[in-house]
Amino acid sequence: MDILILSIATLVGLYMAANIGSNDLANAMGTSVGSGALTLNQAVVISIIANAAGAVLAGSYVTNTISKGMIDPTLFSHSPNDLMIGMFASLLAAGIWVNVATYLALPVSTTHSIVGAVVGFGILSVGAGAISWAKVISIVTSWVVSPVAGAVIAGVMFYVLEKGIMRSKHPIEASERYAPFLIFLVVIVLILSFIFKGLKNLHLHISFIETILFSMPVAAAIGILGRKWIRWQMKPSSRSFFGTKDSSAVDRFFSQLQVMTAFYVAFAHGANDVANAVGPLAAIFSVVKTKAVALRVEVPFWMLLMGGIAVGGGLFVFGARVMETIGKNITEINPLRGFCAQFGAATTILVCSRLGLPISTTHVLVGAVVGVGFMRGMGSVDLRVLRNIAYSWIITLPFTVLLCMILYKALSFAMASIF
Amino acid sequence: MRFLLSSMFYKSPFENLQRHADKVRECAEMFRRAAECHIKENCAEFDHLTDEVAKLESEADAIKRNIRNHLPRGILMPVDKFEFFQYLREQDKVLDEVEEALFWLSFRPSGIPHEIAEDFMGLVDAVLPPIEELSRLVRLATDYFKTGSEKQREKMKSLIRDIRQHEKEADILERELKAKVFTQIKDALAVYHLIRLAEIVGSIADHAQNASDRMRAMIAR
Repeated sequence: MDILILSIATLVGLYMAANIGSNDLANAMGTSVGSGALTLNQAVVISIIANAAGAVLAGSYVTNTISKGMIDPTLFSHSPNDLMIGMFASLLAAGIWVNVATYLALPVSTTHSIVGAVVGFGILSVGAGAISWAKVISIVTSWVVSPVAGAVIAGVMFYVLEKGIMRSKHPIEASERYAPFLIFLVVIVLILSFIFKGLKNLHLHISFIETILFSMPVAAAIGILGRKWIRWQMKPSSRSFFGTKDSSAVDRFFSQLQVMTAFYVAFAHGANDVANAVGPLAAIFSVVKTKAVALRVEVPFWMLLMGGIAVGGGLFVFGARVMETIGKNITEINPLRGFCAQFGAATTILVCSRLGLPISTTHVLVGAVVGVGFMRGMGSVDLRVLRNIAYSWIITLPFTVLLCMILYKALSFAMASIF
Repeated sequence: MRFLLSSMFYKSPFENLQRHADKVRECAEMFRRAAECHIKENCAEFDHLTDEVAKLESEADAIKRNIRNHLPRGILMPVDKFEFFQYLREQDKVLDEVEEALFWLSFRPSGIPHEIAEDFMGLVDAVLPPIEELSRLVRLATDYFKTGSEKQREKMKSLIRDIRQHEKEADILERELKAKVFTQIKDALAVYHLIRLAEIVGSIADHAQNASDRMRAMIAR
């Protein structure tokens, strides 16, 4: 019996992971494919490798039994079965919502989906009082904070770079001049993000000053070395690894930078968001195996690896054909704009999470694209779509809460009648 | 699955603007052939060309409506929408005037008096380059709003200067033609017809220049 439950739970976990890939990761990689910095195949390979690496190297091997600590798990110590059914229902409800949202072309936060689902079964099983409502409020704040912060940072970045490089008399010379500074900036943000966000689960306890002292010289060295690489890549004769063949030298320059940020985004995604699918699965495994409820559960290596690959695989399986058309359809994204949106988003996530502001990657990225659009960067942006996206963010919570309640009731009933 | 953010990117209206500009250019070429044919006696092709132009005009009109009807509020564009519409209006007027000029030619099948035929063709040839240049301008603009490159902008500015120069030359030719009509043609009906025709042909270049001025405003900074 246990083995049956575990297999089904694993399948549902894979379903959730694949959906995360098709929604979350597709957004993160989409700007790179759209700008032509990466081909579809390159994007898929980078996603799968970086995402799995993020999950395995920097993912949580120990996680809260109940996602994001929304409920105190000791409340379930007398009824571990309820917790198991609840987490099962949560995974399924969140997976279904993300699937629906993907079908409707709405970028939603997978974290918010799983949190909503957990709240749903929590209300039914232990009552509304047991839920950490402060965390729910922080989610509501993020609907506003994330897109605004993303828009401001990406917009300012686009304005400065367009003025400094594209509008200069000699864009190629200008980008060569800017190159070491830009590479320095990108590397700094990547290192800081890796340490603060990607690697926070390793509990390295590195202080802020230490991090800065470490990252500054490294970034400076890479910046100076990078200048040589950029010079070589921008020569019309040289073989370019990323970006389309006929793109201009400046486009090739930004393609290189964009690929770096794309890799980072996929890595950070693996480190943080794979847990949305894998965490509840680990909780189910723990309950089934020990017949008890722990405060925190261990996540086995195989589960993280499988989750990381499944997320990348979800991008490939669901996304292959459609992502192929992105490059042709969204000609408005060029490497400079794509880089600003993506790097702006990465920077926003770093700054805001350091400040303790609640943000969601998806929401930040949507804001960043609009921010570049406001700077008259994008060919044309449909602001009406933004309204639909905003609705979908708000609906995420009530929808997953309700769906999970229904699934929880149905599953409990089914379990009770079988046993 | 789809790339979820893609729905946020609205199809760029510049593609359709290019199609519209190409139709205008096509019409201008037909107009030249029709005018040349009309000056010669026994022009068999003229009616066919007029029909062709009328057909192209209605196609271009459909493109124009399509652009206008699909740019609702809430679409963020790299240019001022008001300016964009004004540009479209002027580009469309170029086409209207070409069609109108053809109609005026057809009103008097007796043709253009041979005394002024050469000057008339000179005026027709003078208003054609701005139309060619307009279509090239749109192509450059599409590129410029994609890349934001300063080099592209300089090219556009020099093209706009060319259009202005051509319009000035066409203006002079129009004045000279009118003066010649008044001195050499004695038939009052013919004078009226020719003066009006010269004005219409001249206004083709005027509208092309107006359009390019709008474009200049769009790339102003």
